[in-house]
Amino acid sequence: MHFMLALKLLRRDWRAGELTLLLASLVIAVGTVTTITLFVDRLQQALLQESATFLGADRVISSSSPIDSEWQVKASTLGLRQSQTLGFLSMVFSDDRAQFSSVKAVDDNYPLRGKLIISDAPFVRGQPIAHGPKSGEVWMESRLFPSLDVGTGDVLDIGVTGFAVTQVLIKEPDRGGGFESAAGPRVMMNLADVPVTEVVQPGSRLTYRYLFAGDEQALQDFERWVRPKLKVGDRWLGVRQGAQGIGNALDRAERFLLLGGMLGVVLAGVAIALAAQRYSLRHYDHVAILKTLGATPNGVDSIFLTILLGLGLVGTLLGSTLGFVTQMGIVNILDSVIPIELPGPGFRGIWLGLITGFICLLSFALPPLLRLRATEPVRVIRRDIDASNVSDRLTYSFAIIGTLGLMYWYSGDFKLTLLIFSGAVVATVVLSFVAYLMLRSGRILGMQAGSSWRLALAGMQRRGRENTLQILVFGLAIMLLLILYLVRTALITEWQAQIPKDAPNHFALNISPQDVDPIEDLFDDKKIKAQPLFSMIRGRVSAVNGESASERKRSNWRQRQSEGGKGGGGPSIDSSRNLTWASELPSQNDVIEGSWWAQDYTGPVLISVEKSFAQNGNISIGDELEFTIQGQTFTAEVSNIRSVAWDNMQPNFYIIFSPGGLADFPATFMTSFYLDKTNKLFLNQLLRQYPTMTVIEVDAVIEQIQSIIENVTLAIELVLVLILVSGALVLLASIQASMDERFREHAILRTLGAGQRLVLGSLFIEFCVLGVFAGLLATFGSEITVYALETQIFDLEYELNPALWVIGPLTGMVMIGVVGVAATFKVVKTAPSTVLRELV
Amino acid sequence: MEYMLKTVGLDKTVTTSEGQLTILKGIELEIKESESVAIVGASGSGKTTLLSLLAGLDVPSQGQVFLGPYELTAMNEERRAKVRGELVGFVFQTFQLLASLTALENVMLPAELKGDAGAQQQARDLLERVGLSRRSHHYPNQLSGGEQQRVAIARSFASSAKVLFADEPTGNLDTATGLHIIDLMFSLNQEFGTTLVLVTHDQRLADRCHRAINIESGELVQGVD
Repeated sequence: MHFMLALKLLRRDWRAGELTLLLASLVIAVGTVTTITLFVDRLQQALLQESATFLGADRVISSSSPIDSEWQVKASTLGLRQSQTLGFLSMVFSDDRAQFSSVKAVDDNYPLRGKLIISDAPFVRGQPIAHGPKSGEVWMESRLFPSLDVGTGDVLDIGVTGFAVTQVLIKEPDRGGGFESAAGPRVMMNLADVPVTEVVQPGSRLTYRYLFAGDEQALQDFERWVRPKLKVGDRWLGVRQGAQGIGNALDRAERFLLLGGMLGVVLAGVAIALAAQRYSLRHYDHVAILKTLGATPNGVDSIFLTILLGLGLVGTLLGSTLGFVTQMGIVNILDSVIPIELPGPGFRGIWLGLITGFICLLSFALPPLLRLRATEPVRVIRRDIDASNVSDRLTYSFAIIGTLGLMYWYSGDFKLTLLIFSGAVVATVVLSFVAYLMLRSGRILGMQAGSSWRLALAGMQRRGRENTLQILVFGLAIMLLLILYLVRTALITEWQAQIPKDAPNHFALNISPQDVDPIEDLFDDKKIKAQPLFSMIRGRVSAVNGESASERKRSNWRQRQSEGGKGGGGPSIDSSRNLTWASELPSQNDVIEGSWWAQDYTGPVLISVEKSFAQNGNISIGDELEFTIQGQTFTAEVSNIRSVAWDNMQPNFYIIFSPGGLADFPATFMTSFYLDKTNKLFLNQLLRQYPTMTVIEVDAVIEQIQSIIENVTLAIELVLVLILVSGALVLLASIQASMDERFREHAILRTLGAGQRLVLGSLFIEFCVLGVFAGLLATFGSEITVYALETQIFDLEYELNPALWVIGPLTGMVMIGVVGVAATFKVVKTAPSTVLRELV
Repeated sequence: MEYMLKTVGLDKTVTTSEGQLTILKGIELEIKESESVAIVGASGSGKTTLLSLLAGLDVPSQGQVFLGPYELTAMNEERRAKVRGELVGFVFQTFQLLASLTALENVMLPAELKGDAGAQQQARDLLERVGLSRRSHHYPNQLSGGEQQRVAIARSFASSAKVLFADEPTGNLDTATGLHIIDLMFSLNQEFGTTLVLVTHDQRLADRCHRAINIESGELVQGVD
């Protein structure tokens, strides 16, 4: 019976405009969430796809030996596309010159993601192409042309076979920033031609890469299937592990987008709570009348639950439609700005929006409505009876559980959820107390209608409780926006600092000691910005504390497997490495255990080991490592363990010796330098002058990383704007919710002869003061939360933002002052009698 | 059953910032079926509080209230509400119509809450009876005070109430309209055979009742026949 009555009341309330604000908040909430989710989802997919080009695939298995053919069969049955490449180092010969180079043989499917870029002449921009060289042809990197003194059309010998050089290889998608893989200039050939070269012999050092691409679900199924089967030396690579430099950036961007979506949900929830609060305030009298007519508390519950559900259904459907359309609109508008192609929107976003709408409704709108059941019927006779005595604890628990649940659901990150939540709670508790004290200090007598100022301040005091609450709501909204803004700024600054515009984009290796000075002079002469020269020696760890390194590697691997850990990944401890020595800790390296040696250290040989290398080899401080370098062996003690910013595209080393530790071995030197695109031909001069030197060009890779980071940055800005919009809506809803009381007071004042200027002036002042308080609250709350976020979640350095303490309150004042007065303009435009009649 | 309403040792005290305040003390009264009783007294004497206790809108601090076969003071709000829906009708000084509902919809409410079929026809008949059938689709703010009170009276009889409680039903109306409303209420009261309990300052209204109960400072002074 109550169902029909509820539907009637719903219809009648709608007709009377009582539901507009609640419905609007709900529609906007669901709309914002759907928009953000859909957009973020599509953007994430696009970024992942774009980043997959760094691997040339979605997933890669890299190994030193061919993989079991059963694995490829499994991948085929899962519907994955596949490709295979084989990398090895070999001398290649032109008619009269020879060059040690890094050969990559690719099959006809290569690459699965991204494109190769080739050209007819060296050192030019080139055009994309979807496949590698045909059988019988080879492509070479630009700088091989001068060093081998060949042109396109000439013949290059690899092993016992000659190949026609047909194209210049400008860029390959999966060249990567990895330093070791790029030990020589690239020659690319067809995989089918490898046997006839006779280069690959038993014992050759080979890198097999198996590329997979396809549906994400199939990829995950394949990963689950194949992971346990990986052998020692096999590595499973996804976008994140495969492309140093962007994995991190992507992780952080994703967390940021999630954070944005999460804050959007919270803001939406607050708007709904406010609207529902107002709706139920305006219905206490209704319920009291219904109760005198025989409506029971349970009956009241069922009536308003039905209304809520009906409203929820309409609101969420409208909201998702709105969200879908808005998101399409945004994508259309941004089509020219977003350089990557977005995949189609998925249903996930729409579901998320719908479910979010209902959760929001239940946790934010239900509690105020449930309070209606407790309305005392005697209120029909005595209006002064307080509306409700349902415990606030119930109301708050609903909102807290709902908020926590939604935040966790969105981010899937408990720590992040808890950090934001506790930041908000601490700020709320501390500042509500402060705000209340400030508002209550010294009771002002009467209405003080003499001047706008005094009228405003007296009004604020009279409504101290309501205003404290309003400051909290305003403050919360501004705080969430500030958090997002601060984190975004920190992230972008960090990314820009990671690879500055003039970061070294070329590495020069194999520089002989006698060439060091002339090369430095040459760089100076050409005004080329170069890093100091490092000595570099090839060598490997042969034993740890007397145990053979390969045996140790295998036993560590077995142990990790038995503990249920994942196989593969991380540097292999027994591989050949580039070793160096240094007196000072290189920049962007941090000692995390032990200590760095003194600058003038001359004692027994010490070494510094990189973190992941130490973990893989189970190496700790004080361990004796035996090295084999150029046939000689010697030992050194581990003095410290270091973390390295691998993203920085600088020469980085797993193992660094103390000064003099490598003095007995003839070393070559290396450096890195920045070369502008227009200056590329300088390489020819350099290589002609110093033919033994190897130059590795990473400018294309750096450019690619920068372009991805630009995309991510743009995405972050967009999400920020979306959240700003929902923040503004919360402000509006909150002002709207507090309007009735103000309307009544000011209508009475106007009947008593108060002018428009006085009323508007006092409203403006009241809102501005509220805004300043809210801004202060927001600044305080965002500083603590951002501190926690940046140090715990985003791994960024936290810096206090002194300017924020001015900007925060100022923003609060301007925003709330302007929005408040705009929204209350009606007070002075509507006839006082109308206002009073409507607000009986 | 001899009485429709009965109270035993009824006290009502409230806690204020200045301590306990006694509003009603030791009220004992009986009201018979179909009787009409006026509760009179000065402002603040406790008449309205007594009315709300009798109607089960509020609970006493001590004592018992019997309404028909029920002891209201032994019930929770859920059951009291059911009793109100079954036995009680109200007319208020401030009319208490739902602003978002039309006159017709307001009158339909009690029957709708009970789940009665035919709520609409009954409401139309009652509106016709109070002379407002032409205004049935108007909202309260489109009606004059007298018209709103007529809608309220129609609504109070829509629940087939056994007892009608009226709180200053003419308090917000001019003399002529007030008289008209009094006539209407008493004639409907007679027609339906309801018990009528009203709170009023209006001597004319009190005079129309079978008897008046005088309250002074929360205590029953005398019953006047």
